[in-house]
Amino acid sequence: MNLDLTWRLLKGGGRRGLLGAWLTLGAVAVATALLLFAVAANSAFQARAERGAWRNPVPATSGAVAIEASRFDFVRDRAITVVDLAALDGRTPEPPPGLPRFPAPGEVWLSPALAELARELPADQLAERYPAPKGVLGDEALIHPDELVAVVGRQADAPEMTAARSDDWLLGKPPVKVASLAGTPSEDAQAYRMLSLVASVLMAVPLLVFGGAAARLTVARRDQRLAALRLVGATPGQVVGMTVTEAVIVALAGALAGAAAFALAVPLLAGIEMQGGRWFAADLFPGPLVLAGVLVAVPLLVGLSAVAGLRRVVVSPLGVAKRETPPAMRFVRVLALLAVLAVFPMLTRGTSVSIIAAALALAFLCVNLAGPWVVGLIGRITAGTARSPARLLAGRRLVDDPRSAWRTVSGVALTGFVAGFLGLLSPATFDQDAGGPPQLRITAPAGQADQVVRQARERLREAGVTAEVKPVKDVVVAALGSSAGEAEVDRARTALTGLVPGRTPTTKADDGRFGVEILADVRVGTIVVLSVSFLVAIASSGITAMSSVLDRRQTYGLLRLAGTPLSVLDRARRSETLIPLAVMGGGAILVGAFCAMPFMIGGVNATGAITLGACVVAGFAGVIGAGALSRPLLRSVTADPAPRPD
Amino acid sequence: MNDVLVGRALAKRFGQTVALGGVDIAVRAGEAVAIMGPSGSGKSTLLHCLAGIMKPDGGEVHLLGQRIDALGERRRSALRRTRFGFVFQFGQLLPELPAEENVALPLMLGGVPRAQAVRQAREWFGPLGLQSMESRRPGELSGGQAQRVAIARALVSKPAVVFADEPTGALDQQTGQETMRLLVEATKHNGACLIVVTHDPNVAAWCDRTVEVRDGRLLTSGALA
Ligand SMILES: Nc1ncnc2c1ncn2[C@@H]1O[C@H](COP(=O)(O)OP(=O)(O)OP(=O)(O)O)[C@@H](O)[C@H]1O
Ligand SMILES: [Mg+2]
Repeated sequence: MNLDLTWRLLKGGGRRGLLGAWLTLGAVAVATALLLFAVAANSAFQARAERGAWRNPVPATSGAVAIEASRFDFVRDRAITVVDLAALDGRTPEPPPGLPRFPAPGEVWLSPALAELARELPADQLAERYPAPKGVLGDEALIHPDELVAVVGRQADAPEMTAARSDDWLLGKPPVKVASLAGTPSEDAQAYRMLSLVASVLMAVPLLVFGGAAARLTVARRDQRLAALRLVGATPGQVVGMTVTEAVIVALAGALAGAAAFALAVPLLAGIEMQGGRWFAADLFPGPLVLAGVLVAVPLLVGLSAVAGLRRVVVSPLGVAKRETPPAMRFVRVLALLAVLAVFPMLTRGTSVSIIAAALALAFLCVNLAGPWVVGLIGRITAGTARSPARLLAGRRLVDDPRSAWRTVSGVALTGFVAGFLGLLSPATFDQDAGGPPQLRITAPAGQADQVVRQARERLREAGVTAEVKPVKDVVVAALGSSAGEAEVDRARTALTGLVPGRTPTTKADDGRFGVEILADVRVGTIVVLSVSFLVAIASSGITAMSSVLDRRQTYGLLRLAGTPLSVLDRARRSETLIPLAVMGGGAILVGAFCAMPFMIGGVNATGAITLGACVVAGFAGVIGAGALSRPLLRSVTADPAPRPD
Repeated sequence: MNDVLVGRALAKRFGQTVALGGVDIAVRAGEAVAIMGPSGSGKSTLLHCLAGIMKPDGGEVHLLGQRIDALGERRRSALRRTRFGFVFQFGQLLPELPAEENVALPLMLGGVPRAQAVRQAREWFGPLGLQSMESRRPGELSGGQAQRVAIARALVSKPAVVFADEPTGALDQQTGQETMRLLVEATKHNGACLIVVTHDPNVAAWCDRTVEVRDGRLLTSGALA
């Protein structure tokens, strides 16, 4: 459809027209790359959850072939997942993923990272716990490449497979008879997936808004020309067809560039540590279907957005050529936001995550809907109270086109929403224990505490570890000397391995390890989400600032000819951004914090407050910086002594 | 020696193109001068050099005996704001400002408080036939009305010289005549000189004299009629 004409329109747009196309292309590329990241993060957590499923046994209802149990062991400050497997008498179960065969009793298989650590550390600190490993686990068995996993084959009637274990998931899984080793994703893996879903929503919505803004940019750059086309008699269909084709072509190129950029960034992204390790690069590559979906959806969205932006041109050929007082924003927009916000106090931590994610997405979209209305209001107030010409220009401009002003700040404002939400949500750090000499504790089977104490003393003495061992009820406590370092602790751990079947001696720090890890992950996740949001925000504010200069180059040029100092124009442009930024950014942070209230754990903490503060500073600095980038452009478009409408 | 604006041996080239090839021109107090000539002959370039928008490659420009072409951009910009007024073909009004604020803008840039600037600006609307147009935006005005707002804006800060580059170029014949009459009358009434670039002899007829530009030179002597 009119492809030839479209192509000529695109090429014939002159250098400035092409600049607009490049801006759009760049914006769409950034949006696509980040969108792929948001989607890939989700599927990456899913891939981890699925690969880890075999260690989370599902009790067999019939046809059990094997017994599976797992527990955590520790070395230095890292956790080792130890999986005990035993074939039931006369059965030959399918091997678990990553193993060539079902482990025979006494066989040990280690993950590559564990095998290497066992080689690096002295044998009496780690290797002796898992003697004579038969081989290395394949990647299919591992959640991430750095994971420490040991698979130990046992007899079905070995004490490890029959003794009762604690039900606390922190200590592992008690022996379970299973029909296969397929398993099911563990609860904590599911929790991670849910959190990543929320993070994806938080990242994806501003991206979609950004993509839409990018599309409008093409249209804004062209509506003058298109109105002219309409005036010479092009049918609405032709005009829409041409512009949308153009927008879609540019968007497709941008989407492909974005996908390529994402692929190049994967090795870097794979280095972000989560759940105690880096990522398999393959996990971060979205599946071909998802990729195709994004590559189709992004240009489609840009096309739709372009149609929406064109409606004005099509409705009336004079609509764009002649600027009129814009219809006032409807207050309904704000009502929509208030309605959605009213829902939040009803939510609780028990509400299903998908409902929370949906409510969050809605609140997000409504902040975006209410934004232009509030910007318009701010504009009226600014213009009404302005004393300086720059303020007056800024205020009138806000009233005139609140949508475009909102576009400039929406990214940062929406990031403020995210920051407010996460800032309240990120829990305080656990209290670390007050130090003192390390103690290893292990729970003895009922009534055997004294016997276990004796054996522990014996073993520790043989290993040359000085420790005072005594029972506290059922728990055997081995207090090491105050000079004991981590090597000494690991020697003691190794010496005590297998002391109580199915149980691991642990220190206080070991017991808190998972809590610390989850906190660290939440923090990393927060930083990732905020970084993505800020990238989007700053890119979008830079791009809109540039396109607004390009759109108004004639007026700016003539004002400058008539002697208006560049600094006044620049100050007006700056207030045009900063005034709504201050109000909307602050407002969005409050709304985000409000939405987070039902899910708060404990009070507001320093980490959250610091994150928030850093966000405010980074947001303002980024937007000011991005705006400053378009100053040379302003200078160059106003330097032309005879600005002409083109 | 009551010349307000004097250009001597003005020369300007763009690459190979000689836009001005040594132009002498003088404008007296209260005088209205039309600059005519074929397209591409250098009319706009001459206007831009005289108004301190462009630096000529050769020659000098004097305003009230003071040389202005050698000033830096900042000083020339201030000069344009305070001593000159401009009317262009179209597109000079800020679309988002109501008419009265468009007119008040030069005053505000000069440090006049907003309320006073707007009050002063409003005084121009009646004489220019713009009653009750004060709070309309440029998009809601006809082409002729918009040009009259532009005239008010050019004159509001009491300039010494008003420059107009094809001020009626986008208007029909009758509106153009009416606009031109208002421009000349208002300028003279304020004691300013007027320099108008135009293609239209009817427009030029409103001025005291006409100078013809051909290939960057004046046909008739610009110094005096
Ligand atoms: N910025 C520029 N770069 C290069 N050449 C220019 C530039 N401005 C003007 N010229 C050239 O200088 C010559 C005079 O231009 P000018 O704009 O002064 O003509 P004009 O008489 O105003 O024409 P018109 O009546 O069409 O407006 C022309 O040949 C033009 O092509
Ligand atoms: Mg000209």
